[in-house]
Amino acid sequence: MLLDVRDLHVEFRTREGVARAVNGVSYAVDEGETLAVLGESGSGKSVTAQAVMGILDVPPGRITGGRVLFRGRDLLTLKDEERRRVRGAEMAMIFQDALSALNPVLTVGDQLGEMFVVHRGMSKKDARARAVELMVRVGIPAAAQRVRDYPHQFSGGMRQRIMIAMALALQPALIIADEPTTALDVTVQAQIMDLLAELQREYRMGLVLITHDLGVVADVADRIAVMYAGRIVESAPVHDLYKAPAHPYTRGLLDSIPRLDRKGRELSAIKGLPPNLMDIPPGCAFHPRCPMARDVCLTDVPPLYEVSGDRGSACHFWRECLHGRS
Amino acid sequence: MAGHEPILEVSGLVKYYPLTRGVLFRKQIGAVRAVDGVDFTLVRGETLGIVGESGCGKSTLARLLVTLERPTSGAIRYKGEDITRLSGRALKAVRRNIQMVFQDPYTSLNPRMTVGDIIGEPYEIHPEVALRGDRRRRVQELLDVVGLNPEYINRYPHQFSGGQRQRIGIARALALRPEIVVADEPVSALDVSVQAQVVNLMARLQGEFGLSYVFIAHDLSVVRHISDRVGVMYLGRIVEIGRDTEIYDHPTHPYTQALLSAVPVPDPEARERRERIILSGDVPSPAHIPSGCRFRTRCWKARERCALEVPPLAVPERFRAQGGPAAHDSACHFAEERRVVPPEEATPGHPPGQPPVPGGEPHEEPA
Amino acid sequence: MPEQPQQPEGAIAGTGMGGAMDLAASEASTLERRPGGGGPRGTGPAGRPRSLWSDAWRDLRRNPVFIASALVILFLVLISVWPSLIAPGDPLACDLSKAQEGPRSGHPFGFDGQGCDVYTRTIHGARTSVTVGVCATLGVAILGSVLGGLAGFFGGAWDAILSRTTDIFFAIPVVLGGLVLLSVVTSNTVWPVVGFMVLLGWPQISRIARGAVITARQNDYVQAARALGASPSRILLRHIAPNAIAPVIVVATIALGTYIALEATLSYLGVGLKPPSVSWGIDISAASPYIRNAPHALLWPSGALAITVLAFIMLGDAVRDALDPKLR
Repeated sequence: MLLDVRDLHVEFRTREGVARAVNGVSYAVDEGETLAVLGESGSGKSVTAQAVMGILDVPPGRITGGRVLFRGRDLLTLKDEERRRVRGAEMAMIFQDALSALNPVLTVGDQLGEMFVVHRGMSKKDARARAVELMVRVGIPAAAQRVRDYPHQFSGGMRQRIMIAMALALQPALIIADEPTTALDVTVQAQIMDLLAELQREYRMGLVLITHDLGVVADVADRIAVMYAGRIVESAPVHDLYKAPAHPYTRGLLDSIPRLDRKGRELSAIKGLPPNLMDIPPGCAFHPRCPMARDVCLTDVPPLYEVSGDRGSACHFWRECLHGRS
Repeated sequence: MAGHEPILEVSGLVKYYPLTRGVLFRKQIGAVRAVDGVDFTLVRGETLGIVGESGCGKSTLARLLVTLERPTSGAIRYKGEDITRLSGRALKAVRRNIQMVFQDPYTSLNPRMTVGDIIGEPYEIHPEVALRGDRRRRVQELLDVVGLNPEYINRYPHQFSGGQRQRIGIARALALRPEIVVADEPVSALDVSVQAQVVNLMARLQGEFGLSYVFIAHDLSVVRHISDRVGVMYLGRIVEIGRDTEIYDHPTHPYTQALLSAVPVPDPEARERRERIILSGDVPSPAHIPSGCRFRTRCWKARERCALEVPPLAVPERFRAQGGPAAHDSACHFAEERRVVPPEEATPGHPPGQPPVPGGEPHEEPA
Repeated sequence: MPEQPQQPEGAIAGTGMGGAMDLAASEASTLERRPGGGGPRGTGPAGRPRSLWSDAWRDLRRNPVFIASALVILFLVLISVWPSLIAPGDPLACDLSKAQEGPRSGHPFGFDGQGCDVYTRTIHGARTSVTVGVCATLGVAILGSVLGGLAGFFGGAWDAILSRTTDIFFAIPVVLGGLVLLSVVTSNTVWPVVGFMVLLGWPQISRIARGAVITARQNDYVQAARALGASPSRILLRHIAPNAIAPVIVVATIALGTYIALEATLSYLGVGLKPPSVSWGIDISAASPYIRNAPHALLWPSGALAITVLAFIMLGDAVRDALDPKLR
């Protein structure tokens, strides 16, 4: 297993209290596999990724438990220096907002080349040549000239390509992409997702794709982990999940999105709001919004029940949800 | 519920923003052509969806429709009267009838006003609508109508979530009982599970208040869901417009086809069935719009004629005779029908819109 | 969708459960009946209408910082109007033979370099210093925020002219300007000094007000008000001013201390108030050369100045916070 996150807990201490952002998340990604982590804002999907990458702001954040095994090594026990070496070289991250993730006062060539200078000890000239190669690889036209341009001179889609090139530079085994296409227009979004999928196949990387978009997930993911209130509520191969969700939250999400290929009358919305992380409901965190909730849901936190060999659902009534009429 | 009486007629609408240089002596060196010749008609009671990518001018169009901006040229006729040149009392009267819902629920509500003051402000501006003593009751009614507790009248916006704030924005827009509501990306800032609540609310209010909507969004799925007719914008112009099935199931403009094919569909089975058109390059800057057909720089069908002749927004000749769903307005010299959204197949799971009934079925082991 | 676990929004809505997800009819009536956060207030029924100002006042009355600073300021105003209430002596009755002597009975603060009673002079000096500080601050704040606010709101040529004018005023050195302008004044009252401070001080506030107004103006709620047909004055007063006032309050209250100190500097240079007048500034500058021999003569007037400035800054802070609903 390339990345194996086990029972991760993250808290944020704020003036108002402790926000429990991640409450026991476990997931695993293998080489060449795409795991989509799906969730709404506040579900803990990005915080989990930051903890895995080791870029969580501490304080206010704090990892209070769990392990992050990368090729069998627990990253959380590594020294800062070792951790830095893993980051960038073996695992890399792509952010949503490429404009703020790139340094505005350095040319893209310098920023790409820096990776090779720092991690590979290349000369400036060689590093520049590799930078151009990378820019060609991610589909930036006239790369040899544009390598001297600054980030703001590129369009949103081109900047996201440069981010991908940076993530790819040292050929990491794992890429974590946090909403990589959310800020982009649909036509550009399609270009970028295609590029990511293609590069992943080529280099056999593991890809953790963090998103709120069920459409994007369906297009590229192999497996999917649905997060709610800092926990994984359902984990399944992508085809199974869309065909028959085993958690009422997943089902609610699928039913609540309008479809391009049909005209709906009324969307079946999930009632209520996502929970306050400082005050997560007892029992199943989803129970106040759940149409299937019963007494046990108010008191007992559901474990991730095994639905079949490779799927799990954190719902006491997953069977009913899975086979629920209609 | 849509009738045939046009309530809003937009013709030749143009909005240019001059690009100037120099501090003291400003010299115009060009113009951003944000909206560059838009025509459409809104019929009473219908929803017209406008879709397009960022920079296509859809937000400028929204601001023109609610008279927040004056157009460079063109006319917006509300019940036959051109509202673009109105001012003073006449303009104020028109504004009563055309209201707007904003995209960002965080900046569209004044953080230092209570919800009661926010929703009640329309009555202070238009005191003839409601008597002073009656306003508070009306505000509470509006809160109830949009699904918020009327007791929250004394709270401030920051005490509400994004979806709830958007409901407050909708209540404010409805306070004056407008006939037209222009919604600029009303749900794109909201979480998926909350989006549906707001879309449903808007659909319900349309019936209750007899509203006509101009619903502007970049999300083609949401637009299809709520719209009777849909217009597709590209670089300041509508390139294709028609009833929702005409646009989504029988698109004839290559841009519409590319746009539709790029939308991720939440159905992994569709991965194989779908045909994707990946456009090359980016949208050109609205300060440098290509000659002829503005889409030609990214179009796989572009020929010499496209650079020379601006294609009019009309029913293409080849479809004019045959009729059918492909015969709708499309601004392309080489329009042809191409289905890019795969027809929905009866999925073995659950049909849309029908949630599960818990505990209704015998338990089975999963396959 | 960026996640913000630090500030999770919303609480759980409608705890009712078991209802089917058929929301056709129930969607609007059962959803989101409870807003998030749930402040300390607002749990009660709708009751009487509230506004920003009435809420701010409720808030201030319970704020110990506000009460403490308001009491200090009240006391200052009191002794400015009737200094003889607690200091019956004559501040000008000095006895050189007692110069620099320490505290003794009847003269709790001791004597300064001229042999004047420090206690009496400190109390009597409040009138000048508080008048200069408060009047100059009010003048600067009003003139600066009106000019800057209008420039930010209307923009265009008006804004360009004002911005260049503030640049010119910024270039005038305060002390040199004071020497030139005030040397022609013969009146020995505080008003020429106040006028001079307003003249040179407004550009600072005007810049801040202009920036704050431009920021507030860009918000969608201003567009929403325009779309409702609101007049420019309504937009400015109801929507922009309350949202742009916070930085003005902060800078103005900090500037208040500067003005009291500036009055001292000008007096020291001989262009402010002249000696028969009594002010903290005059006493501070007179006592500074003797800090080694008679620190008490410096301590009391400067202590009074520090407490005054602190009280106004805390008041400004409390008012600013009370006008921000998010902090309640």
